[in-house]
Amino acid sequence: MDASSSLRVAAELSELETIRRFVEQHATALRIDPSAIDDLLLVVNEIATNSILHGYRKQPGTIEVAMRPIGDAVEICVRDHAPPFDPTQAPSPDLHVPLAQRPLGGMGVHLARQLIDSLTYRITPDGWNELTLVKYRIVPHLPQEEPDGFNN
Amino acid sequence: MDLTIEQAQGRVPVAILRIKGALDASNYEDVIVKARELYDAGARHLLVDMAEMHFMSSSGLVALHSIVMLLRGQPSPDPEMGWQAFHALGHDRDTGKQPHVKLLNPQPKIRQILQITNMDEFFEIHTDLQTAVASF
Repeated sequence: MDASSSLRVAAELSELETIRRFVEQHATALRIDPSAIDDLLLVVNEIATNSILHGYRKQPGTIEVAMRPIGDAVEICVRDHAPPFDPTQAPSPDLHVPLAQRPLGGMGVHLARQLIDSLTYRITPDGWNELTLVKYRIVPHLPQEEPDGFNN
Repeated sequence: MDLTIEQAQGRVPVAILRIKGALDASNYEDVIVKARELYDAGARHLLVDMAEMHFMSSSGLVALHSIVMLLRGQPSPDPEMGWQAFHALGHDRDTGKQPHVKLLNPQPKIRQILQITNMDEFFEIHTDLQTAVASF
């Protein structure tokens, strides 16, 4: 059975809740622990927000989110057709400066790196930015149901 | 997201800003606007009640950061200007927890976000409303 799921939405901030709901529903269906679901929600939200604000710069566009289990891991791909940009190359923020010296924002990629196990970027053959995040050991193994009438 | 305001009195007047729902890039500016209204009305101490806030993205951190600067009477940093704007503010005298904005009952995942970003260094976090109000 194909357990992958995908969503396509307009690249608008009002769609962030739609994206989160999609991730939550499918993660819940995979019986992922709520704490891990929260991590996935936040990371996908941050990626999508960056796409809308910095990729498309609030111009019209599309965001795709595809999600699938791979063994005990979940893989989520977030794609957009904004100008090519690799957020994985963003420098880590300095977290030890006083508050007034901190720039506003800039924490999205940092949070993503802290909360998921793998974050990779590529440009797809058709020119889309694609960020792939993987979080391991969160999809529980469920024993397979025995078919009716099975006898040892 | 719903925002409600309540006034409390400890040693000083405290405005309680209660945020319910999800705080993200689509609505974080509403929080800043509400805080600015409170400031314009005379509020100088703000308790952010996060007990019913089930989601906060990094935009929520921007809102909190902006509110602190607002209640300090400092111009809110311009995110478009990058680091130059911040060096121009001069070195901040304050390190550690600032006295103007405190947090009440952030949910565990939101508390984790504050820790991951070291923002918890700047905010007192309380679990009891009366204690929080009295702490200002």
